[in-house]
Amino acid sequence: MSGTETLGEAPPAGGPPPALPGAGTWTLSRAGIATVARLELRQRVRSTRWIIVLALWGLVLIGLAALIHHAVFAGTGSSVVTEGTDGWDPTGRAGAQMYGWVVVLVLVLGSLVAPALSATSINGDRSAGVLATLQATLLSPAEIALGKLLAAWVTALALLAVASPALLWAVLSGGTPAGRLVVTVALLAVVLLLECAIGLGWSAVTARTASSAVLTYLSVAFLGLGLPMLFGLLLSVAQRSETVTERVMLPVPNAAAPAEGQAPPLHCVSTTTTETVTHYEWIAWLLVPNPLVVIADASPPPRYRGGMAYDDVLTGLRSGVRTLRLGPAPRDSCYEVDATGTPRFAEDDGRSAERERLGAVWPYGLATELAIGAAFTVITVRRLRAPVRTLARGTRVA
Amino acid sequence: MTGITVAGVRRTFGDVVAVDAMDLEVPAGQVTALVGPNGSGKTTLLLILATLLTPDTGTVRVAGYDPVTQPREVRRRTGWMPDAFGTWETLTCREVLATVADAYRLPRPAAAARISELLALVHLADLAERPTQVLSRGQKQRLGLARALIHSPEVLLLDEPASGLDPRSRIELRGVVRGLARAGAAVLISSHVLAELDELADRAVIVARGRTVAVESLEPGRDTPRPWRLRALDDARLLAGLDALGRVHGGPGPDGVEVEIRSDADAAELLAALVRDGVPMVALHPASGVLEHAYLALTQDALTEDRR
Repeated sequence: MSGTETLGEAPPAGGPPPALPGAGTWTLSRAGIATVARLELRQRVRSTRWIIVLALWGLVLIGLAALIHHAVFAGTGSSVVTEGTDGWDPTGRAGAQMYGWVVVLVLVLGSLVAPALSATSINGDRSAGVLATLQATLLSPAEIALGKLLAAWVTALALLAVASPALLWAVLSGGTPAGRLVVTVALLAVVLLLECAIGLGWSAVTARTASSAVLTYLSVAFLGLGLPMLFGLLLSVAQRSETVTERVMLPVPNAAAPAEGQAPPLHCVSTTTTETVTHYEWIAWLLVPNPLVVIADASPPPRYRGGMAYDDVLTGLRSGVRTLRLGPAPRDSCYEVDATGTPRFAEDDGRSAERERLGAVWPYGLATELAIGAAFTVITVRRLRAPVRTLARGTRVA
Repeated sequence: MTGITVAGVRRTFGDVVAVDAMDLEVPAGQVTALVGPNGSGKTTLLLILATLLTPDTGTVRVAGYDPVTQPREVRRRTGWMPDAFGTWETLTCREVLATVADAYRLPRPAAAARISELLALVHLADLAERPTQVLSRGQKQRLGLARALIHSPEVLLLDEPASGLDPRSRIELRGVVRGLARAGAAVLISSHVLAELDELADRAVIVARGRTVAVESLEPGRDTPRPWRLRALDDARLLAGLDALGRVHGGPGPDGVEVEIRSDADAAELLAALVRDGVPMVALHPASGVLEHAYLALTQDALTEDRR
């Protein structure tokens, strides 16, 4: 046949591919990761109607953002007129509220889509008979895993990019400084990466694509919904009967009757009672790895004139979680009366100092999320090692 | 170049023994056929050689390296064509080969030339820019062969490469494989098409129930007695001629008369004698392929047990 003679020279002429330094499971090269990522993305772009998916996704987000815009701005119509008279900026407040809800929306919808991007990546390839042909090449298990993860993440970031009009609309509505936008978007990207890593891990562990899809969604739902629900359920367990000291101002007994028009003299009295106290600070850490909590806690607060009582969903969550960590507040309503008769409360009940000392919660949450993602990635790489000694039930090598 | 050496390899999956005790030599420059009934452990052995499975016991060397401890050295030198011909459906033939070339870290310009060369070799050049999902089964098999050859391996593992191929493609496959062996590659090819292997392989390793049963040389002109089939214009004169020469033979059948012949030289002698005696000879050929004959004899026990 025609080509035989040219091919006949092949083995000596070509020789083996160049030797590469470091030849283990964890060998990483940019070229190797890029090879796998390019392969994955090319297939994804061609096998899905991605333009339609992205367009639908963008339209849904813009539509919902419009509803949010309407909801938060509906009540500001009359106040806008008064803007400037008292330094109060209702537009900024509404903008900050809108931004908060749009971030929640992007996170929730993104968490519905992102896991699907990787949840059948490895077991799907395995059953299609195309995984082993990659494993038999010079690509290391780590390169295959990270290439697939990168491809899934890039796709997720495309979703985030298409969500940017909705986010920008909220930013332009006011109240959101640039730093807030940057931090939330960066953390949304990290959360999507985590969800892709979870999906990839399950797809490497399970033989059937249906199983890995279910397990991935359960894992993502556990972080997003399960942990807060667990927190709520455990509140009834985190209770203890203890003696509670309460300090209140009571009239001084047996005091001389006050002069006309004067309040009776009061003094501070400590009373102790035994009651059931819920120590939510014991279980508040359950909320910390929640993606929304991490985003809310890490994002710099909104900024608008008169904006002290930040009441957007993110800031609310942020102060809520930070307060939960402190535990029940001491019950102290005592005050001193100075010479002029003005009551003076203790400068600091120690709680804000304590809150300051505990600081932000997002570093712990983010670290936990990164650790979870890393663990799933390590599992993925280990599952891609070849030659294999043991095969999972119901799986074939090729 | 050292080819493949397999000694005492055993591989089980749970309590299923896929490979029980296999021994195998695949010398460089030769085509070795791996023949055996379904479930005899051929694919498992090829997966071990392709660095995808570890053997439980035994020693394996592929191109001089241990696939368990030095898989990358083996992979650099080994082309593997699996029997399940999964392919990236949406990629074009050229992109599939380019991806595999990248995976073997071939330098881009050299890879591009190599890809064009291979596409021409497996007659897919006109389909190079078409997605692989439009390929027929046989075309996918040919693409699979090109994929296995991309890095010019010195050891080639082909698992059922002929399945799904039309007669012309089979003949071309034979040409490709023989060409590679001539250039010094060690080729191990598993197949069910025994007649095909006769012309393709130099040696055959027959396995059954996970064990190496026999190693047959398929060199022509050997001295293995086997039945040949003789045809003449006149059956009666042929039978008379054979009787006159004192040859043991069967009765006349639709395909001629079967005669036990010891070797190629014996066949030539017999033909000359018959022609000399005036028998109008039409044909004289082995009743079955060398391999088929050996295979049927050797796997009889295993087959009957399997089918029970």
